[in-house]
Amino acid sequence: MTLLLVPVLVSLALGLVAGPLERRLPPATAARLLTASALVTALATGFVLGVAGFVALSQVPFVAALGQWSRTALQQSHIPQVLGAAAGALVLALIGRAVRHAIVAVRHLCAAEATCRRLGPGADGLVVTDDSVPDAYAVQGLSGRIVVSRAMLSGLPADERRVLLAHEASHLRHRHHVYVQLTQLAAAANPALRQVTDAVQVAVERWADEDAAADVGDRPLAARALARASLLRHRSSTAAPGSRPASALAAVTNSVVVRTQALLRPAPRPRRALVLSTTVLVLCAAAAAGLTAHDTEHQFELARHLLHHTS
Amino acid sequence: MSTSARGRGELEREVLAAVAAAPAPVSANDVLRDLGGALAYTTVMTTLARLESKGVLTRQLDGRAYRYSLSGDPAEVDASLAAHRMRKVLESRPDRAGVLARFVADLSDEDEQILLALLAPETELPVSGGEAGSP
Repeated sequence: MTLLLVPVLVSLALGLVAGPLERRLPPATAARLLTASALVTALATGFVLGVAGFVALSQVPFVAALGQWSRTALQQSHIPQVLGAAAGALVLALIGRAVRHAIVAVRHLCAAEATCRRLGPGADGLVVTDDSVPDAYAVQGLSGRIVVSRAMLSGLPADERRVLLAHEASHLRHRHHVYVQLTQLAAAANPALRQVTDAVQVAVERWADEDAAADVGDRPLAARALARASLLRHRSSTAAPGSRPASALAAVTNSVVVRTQALLRPAPRPRRALVLSTTVLVLCAAAAAGLTAHDTEHQFELARHLLHHTS
Repeated sequence: MSTSARGRGELEREVLAAVAAAPAPVSANDVLRDLGGALAYTTVMTTLARLESKGVLTRQLDGRAYRYSLSGDPAEVDASLAAHRMRKVLESRPDRAGVLARFVADLSDEDEQILLALLAPETELPVSGGEAGSP
């Protein structure tokens, strides 16, 4: 019963600490650590819920007969059958969510890849569009492209254009979309991890910012490029309302200011203690899953053994 | 201005960006002046020639020097449409962030003020194209 709770509690704790971790750790470390943590925790949670559901199912007379288990032995399980059944139903619903999410994610990847093909190779992955709206983004498929509009390029001085290009190149080089998509998948399978997804999305942007700043060797320059590009885009959108669809980016509205301010401070230092304590937290979830597996296996062995000896 | 070394791909992207940023066709000298730093004239010239042979840029002879501009051929226009459509589709999905990473997000008016204050020491937003003509 307590073992069942550990991964759930770890998920909730991870959701709480994801934001603060993202703000304190170097962004590359934060993105990697949070993605791995989310995946392990989601798997551990799904596993213990699944086991609880299976134990409940195995107490149904027909299933017990099929598995040749002693029902009396299984009923001594420390998880009440009702709770186990609920856990089983929950895990099925969550697996359904995860599968649905995975299908959508694969479809998005295919769409991105098709767009990359149509964009052509460009100049080493850079495609310039003749668009009057200042915009710059990376399309991340299996291959990737950097798309920048002429309006954005002509609004930035050369050294700030270099920051923009280095930022987008970092997204493609480090395959940042993989981190985002994996944590989105983990959050689909375990809604308690939603905040981790948000933190990883901010972390990969910050990661690309730090890479760009290192590339040009000038943090204030990188901050200026970010500020100016945002203002260019903002002005064009206020000048021509309705020219862009109302985007779903409201949740990260503030992140440009946060990112700019982060670039004006020194680069974050590695913090081993934070990484270590997060790792220990996540290992608790994994250990709980491992112990559950061990205990349950033992219980079923006993149940089979008892049945053979009483019959 | 930083002096860190650029890779070949990085250089190609920067040169293309410089040509695209300019309001009119530019010569190798214009690009060199715009990019500044430790670049050599021959490096810029070979990069421009390479981009031209890839079909990304077109050039025309102006006096004794070539002037380069974006090719704008049908394939490029098609590419712009593809990019535009992709953006529309993905912007309508809240979970699109996986494949579309935008450089800058939308700003609130308050954010605008904060960012303007950050840029304040420079007093204005310089437009690089405006300086291209000066010697």
